[in-house]
Amino acid sequence: MRSKIIRKLFKLLLALLLLALLGGGVAWYKLFREVPEPKWADESERFKYGSIGAEFSRGIPYYIWEVLPRVFPEYLPGSGGYKSFGLVWEEGHEMPVGFTKQVIGFPRVANNCAICHVGTWRSKEEEAPHLVVASPANTVNVQAMLRFLINCGKDSRFNARVLIPEIRRDVKLSFLDRLLYRFVLIPLTRSALQRQEQQFLWMNRPGVPDWGPGRDDPMNLTKYFMTTQPVDKSIGQADFPSNWNLKVRKGTAGTNLFLNWSCDTPAVRSVLIDSALGLGAAPDKKSRLSYPIDNLHWKLKRRAWFEKRMDDLDNFLSNLPPPKYPFKTDEFLAAKGQPIYEHYCAECHDVGAPRTSKVIPIAEIGTDRERLDTWTQAAAAEANKVVKSLGINRPDMVKNEGYCSPPLDGLWMRAPYLHNGSVPTLRELLEPVEKRTKVFYVGYDVYDPVNVGFVTQGAPAEQHGWKHDVTVRGEGNQGHTYGTELNDADKKSLLEYLKTL
Amino acid sequence: MKHETPQPHRRRRIIFFVLLVLGIILALRFTRDQPVDYTSAEEHFKYGSTGGERDAGIPVALWNVLPDLFAKYLPGPGYASLGFIYETNRPFPVGVSQRNVQGVDRVFLNCAVCHAGTVRDTPQSPRRVIVGMPAHGMNLQAFERFLFACARDEDFNSTRLVDEIAQRKSDDWLNRLLFRYVAVDLARQRLITLAQRFSFMDREPDAGPGRVDTFNSPKVLMNFRMEKLPPAEWIGNCDLPSIWNQGKREGMWLHWDGNNNSLEERNRSAAFGTGATPPTLDRASLKRMKEFTLTNTPPHWPYEVNLAKTGPGEKIYAEYCARCHGRNGRDFTGELVGQVTPIEKIKTDRHRLDSYTEELCVNQGLLYAAYPDERFSHFRKTHGYANQPLDGLWLRAPYLHNGSVPTLRELLEPAERRPAVFYRGYDVMDRARVGFIADVAEENGRKYYKFDTRLPGNGNAGHEGREYGTELSAVEKDALVEYLKTF
Repeated sequence: MRSKIIRKLFKLLLALLLLALLGGGVAWYKLFREVPEPKWADESERFKYGSIGAEFSRGIPYYIWEVLPRVFPEYLPGSGGYKSFGLVWEEGHEMPVGFTKQVIGFPRVANNCAICHVGTWRSKEEEAPHLVVASPANTVNVQAMLRFLINCGKDSRFNARVLIPEIRRDVKLSFLDRLLYRFVLIPLTRSALQRQEQQFLWMNRPGVPDWGPGRDDPMNLTKYFMTTQPVDKSIGQADFPSNWNLKVRKGTAGTNLFLNWSCDTPAVRSVLIDSALGLGAAPDKKSRLSYPIDNLHWKLKRRAWFEKRMDDLDNFLSNLPPPKYPFKTDEFLAAKGQPIYEHYCAECHDVGAPRTSKVIPIAEIGTDRERLDTWTQAAAAEANKVVKSLGINRPDMVKNEGYCSPPLDGLWMRAPYLHNGSVPTLRELLEPVEKRTKVFYVGYDVYDPVNVGFVTQGAPAEQHGWKHDVTVRGEGNQGHTYGTELNDADKKSLLEYLKTL
Repeated sequence: MKHETPQPHRRRRIIFFVLLVLGIILALRFTRDQPVDYTSAEEHFKYGSTGGERDAGIPVALWNVLPDLFAKYLPGPGYASLGFIYETNRPFPVGVSQRNVQGVDRVFLNCAVCHAGTVRDTPQSPRRVIVGMPAHGMNLQAFERFLFACARDEDFNSTRLVDEIAQRKSDDWLNRLLFRYVAVDLARQRLITLAQRFSFMDREPDAGPGRVDTFNSPKVLMNFRMEKLPPAEWIGNCDLPSIWNQGKREGMWLHWDGNNNSLEERNRSAAFGTGATPPTLDRASLKRMKEFTLTNTPPHWPYEVNLAKTGPGEKIYAEYCARCHGRNGRDFTGELVGQVTPIEKIKTDRHRLDSYTEELCVNQGLLYAAYPDERFSHFRKTHGYANQPLDGLWLRAPYLHNGSVPTLRELLEPAERRPAVFYRGYDVMDRARVGFIADVAEENGRKYYKFDTRLPGNGNAGHEGREYGTELSAVEKDALVEYLKTF
């Protein structure tokens, strides 16, 4: 009798075990199975579309991502789906630049560095945009995109009843997939987006200016995402920087070169790692979607992959040459401009010069100080601790009291100028503050080869662009008055020379 | 248990068996997906299914009662008054395909609704249906507006419609039950949603017969914010094209503005217009249609040709036209054939060009993404109009991408001497000028469409000047037109 019960129990246990194994197998297959990325043609393609590892903890299920603009067009800034954020999107490509698609159980979409670091220019409206890898993403409005996703998550129509029929216009979902979307992916994505709303409340406080295209608020993003620093009143909208030719930002031992607008980081490696972590390349303790399995995953496998990926990126970006000026230049005039550059600019901007990539005290440079004040000693200390706790070694972030003086490679493609993009063209940067334009439109990518910068005035610029008003907090165009007293002929020569950098 | 009589046992078995059979019958019925097929390739093109009925299909019963119940929304009797072509002994017009989905016979449109037309020798002659020719008499916009108007009418309700359907005994009680409680309401809701999304077309001039706004429709299907569309994009009306000799067009830039060079993608893109989405597209059927269009050729000009004129005409053609339009109506070789001529050069109405945008182009890159081999990857934004081969030219009137010039002879005149206003949709050939007779406003109660070239999108300028032959002598122009009859 007893042995019979034991045998029955044993059989039951065995059945349960098999069921659990089967269930686990299906769950693994549908949620965590990693399909390797395609082979990229070159590092540039990989930069634009390849993963930096953010899909695991921040990936949005592909089919949800695909249908959101169709379901919630009212939260988009214009017609044209995701393109209305000014994304760089090559004809014929499935994903916009800076967007990765990878199957981890199910296809997921995340971002990589290129979302902020691939820009475009064109010589006239009726021309396909030319992509420049590692240039500031001059047209991309990241904040509008964040707000779109957050608004979708807040909307009560973000549910299976609305989304699944829309998804089924694109793809036949199996019964199991329908269950998965209905009971797991749609609710989890929604709650992740709702948590994001909480994390981004700081940027919606009254009096906080919008970022606009080509910019974000980098140190507040770091502060509020990487650290637990309390929300303060600082604002710091700043241009996306170029990140080509990083080898000239490295210097040699003891030269102590800084990166980031207010010299917050002393090493290329640190900038790469911190930026990638900001995009979700590491396990994110706030994301319930994959926690705790992603922590384990990070320890077992992902960290080594991540460090290798960062090394590859470092290698690629360090050796990527800056883009050549695509319009005609007057060599004779440029030759006349070179000594002017050497006299007025080289000390702080020539590679290897004593004050290049160094802190220029705020009192000296005199540009808008808001961005500088967003970063603190406490934030730096805590950020360093967080990165160490992930098992990553990198030079520590610091706090400085001034703005950085970067090399001017590929300067023509880095408009608008100054850290907050408050001066539309190089020609205007050579004018005294009161003669610089006070209201202009950024985000339009037609180039102005006369003044060196993008077209920021006129009907098309207004239609495609975002209004920059220098009287708004953080948007000031003062400071950096070097060379503003030159005569017109000298300014012209200098400008010509700057085109060749 | 052992003591029970066999009686209930047997009863249980019978119940089980009956339920099983019933279940199987219902399962078979509700998983049914059966198109009406045709053996001949041409018949298949005219009446075969692209799969659009699976999701967008209109129940046959409904299709049949609408023109009777809502005759007030039609310009004349039946669907024919919208330009649908009826052949003898066919229940549905050309371009309407049938499929049984989940036990309900449904119909929807296929390629032929836009790519089959009619021609008559004289007003008294019978209409000849020519497959692959632009459906120059078909008013798709009026058809859409008819459906939308029906859906908004208070008589479009299940009681009224199902009573009507019951009277005609067209469907069985189970389907009528479905219509009463589900299908009619669903159809109304979907039509009203579509009507709202397509309301953009009320702010542009009417398309009229033989034309559609090709690329504002996909914007609607992707639910772009049409109210935020820059006004330059609003008007995309253009002629329905012919689709003969597609095999010879492989690799050429297709669509009026040359925005895609893949036949496959062009076909799948057009199939959206027939309601076929990536999950519902009937791939085998579309493949059959594609194969048909690869080799289907236009009929020859059936009237006399003055051989004394075609000789000189051929020389003029070789000098003026061949580089962009191909050696002749069968041989499409030519340096610029299938390439895009910049708008600054061709100077034809730019509205259609501007309606296709970079925004739309990149969004199309997401279409069919779930089926990687079929994903759209060949679309591009251009800045001009594509040079097309001229096969079957005589059947492709009116001319230019927006159908703004009624005849070939008039296309050889400078814009100010082309007619400013004319009528479209009439199908008797103008044998002297080549094109359809364009001054008939009405015939036997059927009204034709008054086309005003002064409205935005309808401009008849461009494709003119010395290079385009508008400065030739009258004799030379006549000779060229005579030669073009042989295409």
